[in-house]
Amino acid sequence: MKTYDYKKDIEGYAEVQKEIETCRKYGIDYTTEKGKLAQIINRLHPPKLWLKVSEIREESPSTTTFRLVSQDNYLPPFQAGQYISLSVEIGRVRTSRPYSISSPPNQIGFYDITVRRVENGFVSSYLLDKVKVGDTFETSSPLGYFYYNPLFHGNDLVFLAGGSGITPFMSMIREVTDRGLKRRLHLIYGSQFLDDVIFHEELTYREKYHDNFTYTLVISNPPQGYKGPRGFITADLIRDTVDDIVSKTFYICGPEEMYDFCLPELEKLEIPKRKIRKELIGPPKDVSKDPGWPKDVSPDAEFRVKVIGKKVITARAGEPLIISLERGGIGMPAPCRSGACSLCRIKLLRGKVFQPKDVLLRKSDRQFGYIHACLAYPLKDLEIMI
Amino acid sequence: MTDYDVTIIGAGNGGLTAAATLAKAGLKVLLLERHNVPGGCATSFRRGRFEFEVALHQLSGMGTEEKPGPLRVLLQDLGVTKKIEFVEMEHLYRVTFLNMLDITLKADRSEVVKELQHRFPSERAAIVKFFDLVYAFSIQRIGVVHMGDPEASKEKYPLYFKYALKSSQEVLDEFFDDPLLKAIVATYWGYMGLPPRLLSFSNLALLLFAYIEFKPFHIKGGSQALSNALVDTFLENGGEVRFNCGAKKIVVKDGKVQGVITEDGDEIRTHWVVSNAGLLTTYIDLIDGEHVPEEQLKILAGRTIGTSFFTIFAGLDCEPSEVGITETTNFVCSSIDFDRAFSLAKTLETPQTVLLTCYDVSDPDFSPPGTCQTAIVTLQYAQPWLHIPPSQYADMKYRYAEGMLDLVESLFPDFRNHIEEIEVASPLTHMRFLGHLGGTAYGFDQYEKDSRLFIAPGSSIKGLYFAGAWVAGGGFQPTLASGKSAARQILKEFGSG
Repeated sequence: MKTYDYKKDIEGYAEVQKEIETCRKYGIDYTTEKGKLAQIINRLHPPKLWLKVSEIREESPSTTTFRLVSQDNYLPPFQAGQYISLSVEIGRVRTSRPYSISSPPNQIGFYDITVRRVENGFVSSYLLDKVKVGDTFETSSPLGYFYYNPLFHGNDLVFLAGGSGITPFMSMIREVTDRGLKRRLHLIYGSQFLDDVIFHEELTYREKYHDNFTYTLVISNPPQGYKGPRGFITADLIRDTVDDIVSKTFYICGPEEMYDFCLPELEKLEIPKRKIRKELIGPPKDVSKDPGWPKDVSPDAEFRVKVIGKKVITARAGEPLIISLERGGIGMPAPCRSGACSLCRIKLLRGKVFQPKDVLLRKSDRQFGYIHACLAYPLKDLEIMI
Repeated sequence: MTDYDVTIIGAGNGGLTAAATLAKAGLKVLLLERHNVPGGCATSFRRGRFEFEVALHQLSGMGTEEKPGPLRVLLQDLGVTKKIEFVEMEHLYRVTFLNMLDITLKADRSEVVKELQHRFPSERAAIVKFFDLVYAFSIQRIGVVHMGDPEASKEKYPLYFKYALKSSQEVLDEFFDDPLLKAIVATYWGYMGLPPRLLSFSNLALLLFAYIEFKPFHIKGGSQALSNALVDTFLENGGEVRFNCGAKKIVVKDGKVQGVITEDGDEIRTHWVVSNAGLLTTYIDLIDGEHVPEEQLKILAGRTIGTSFFTIFAGLDCEPSEVGITETTNFVCSSIDFDRAFSLAKTLETPQTVLLTCYDVSDPDFSPPGTCQTAIVTLQYAQPWLHIPPSQYADMKYRYAEGMLDLVESLFPDFRNHIEEIEVASPLTHMRFLGHLGGTAYGFDQYEKDSRLFIAPGSSIKGLYFAGAWVAGGGFQPTLASGKSAARQILKEFGSG
């Protein structure tokens, strides 16, 4: 092209032309890179896994561990405390739930998930009653941020666990004790009944053989004559059982009520926010009890939700929108189901939803009308874009 | 089978401005994005109380409302400036060469000159001359390259013709004696991913000119706000977007784009495709080999994949001043040897240069009251990370991050004691989220030999256009502009077709 001629007058132009020729002559054949990126990434974070149940073990009357193995002999690594999102199809509803991996990362052949029966639990009942060895599941690769971070957690950790909230800690405790890591762990485990403590024997055993692991069991509903600590995990109990509180980083995982109770207790101890790591909680059991919930909307009210380009479904006010969508046959990735990972971020075009304050929305998402379907509750008829 | 005038692959900066421009012009446009959140690099993520900015450090080319720069004009045209707020930064940067020198430069030409003269009195005259050249050269470059003056000649643009292909180092050596002075002036090299020896003077000059003349800016709500605003304009103008839906294939027949097949297997008929998926992904993974022109592969072969980053996102439980952070943009260097700093980007050794950006200094609302957030970044190529066994990957990330934090703490000693949230992203993290080989955010290495002077933009496949860093170079302003320019060419063809 004629207009390009002026370039030849730029000082050094001919030399650069020569350089380009050389570079091309001895260049890189990028066609060999086809598919490379996925290969590299899939070693660490494959988008999906297909896992098979290889073993089912009862941990306590209410709780069962499912051992999941890979069908192609590869499981990506994880950090103790992470979860997988397990997809299930029950009836004709496809949904998913996050389960912390309870086995340690040094066990590379399997992921254990430990499931406690939830009253009227749609998925937990299915898993405990129907699933057998050999069944297969689609899951996410390990996700979540509830894990040890050496950059700022220090070497002294206190785990506050409640009920089935023991599962991520189990992975951490197993890793530290199996691998002989230097970290010092103190587990304070709140459980309702003495005869339904998950992993009690193993925890007792590991405490006995490892100086850097301490186990304090707290029973809220103890049998007569029980001598151990009872009640809830209070500031006093922590003060009595943990030395040098200021040097510790606290991790907390358990049911909703436990956070409501324990976080103020940690505040009493003047633990700074940066020293408290909280696992995600999941949706509230009864969102209409949230102080922000509008008085004039019954949680049982039903609304029409128009999904642009798809269909219209019905949604109950008191139920996370994601569940109504899944029931209506509209699925999307929703791994954390706690308002945090934002993979179920959708756009609200019309209508109004209630979003608990825990939902981790981006500022500009709030401004431009995006919501996280896993922690959004319809208050009016809606129109949404997925 | 659906019909669209244009299908855009990827909602990064370039894809978004292309999409918004085309929809605004009345074309029927489909935007495909494999994530559920738009933006590509221009995004954010939440941890605890913080919303971490992923990519934007200093927005260039904005200018003020009274004296708008090219980027502000572009965003005004798309209605974006009405939707979001921009925050001007007072300073270019603070650069600290540990145990040697610590200097902060205002985003003002005469102040920069004055400050440098104050520190380097023996080079007073050279400093003035250098910035005269930076300005005069940049204006000539804009005339030749950006405005495409048909009468470009050596006589009309003598400075451009003399300096366009010189390296930054050559020109710095021509003007200055003190290596410290050279290092200070070349501090922005990291924004281009090449040390002064390899970075063209043309690019360094334009960087300095753009930031001084149009001031560095940040965005309220971060770069995600920009991405969201562009999507908003796109939707307002009838555009259709599919999230969680990547492209699997661009269908080409007889050298012309026919359509796109999505990851869900949907076949879309389309006249034009703007690919924001990167040149390599497009030619290697999206188009069947038989349709990729041999010549195209030859051009690609001569280029090398650019740098990625290692980034630490840290939320602190205190005001910036409590750990001694007084500037938004802080380059912390343990040495003035930038060549060495660059070569370290290809190893897992502790880096010698990091950039620590603390947005809250310019915009106190950026993080919740009583907190602040920082992004600490250094250049890193992906190569060394490809050889780490997956089981050791997390440990390696932490180890590398510790080295960076040590460097940060040599300037801000109490930093670690205030960390409330932290996230670490390696080149593999960037590779995973961006979908670019090498985890690069800059496309190819930005040598002058690969610039528009030598490689014409566009493709030899009819109907196929590109937007993004792989064709425009890295950074917000170039990528945003690239989408607009792809859209403009399509509109030209649309008008004449």
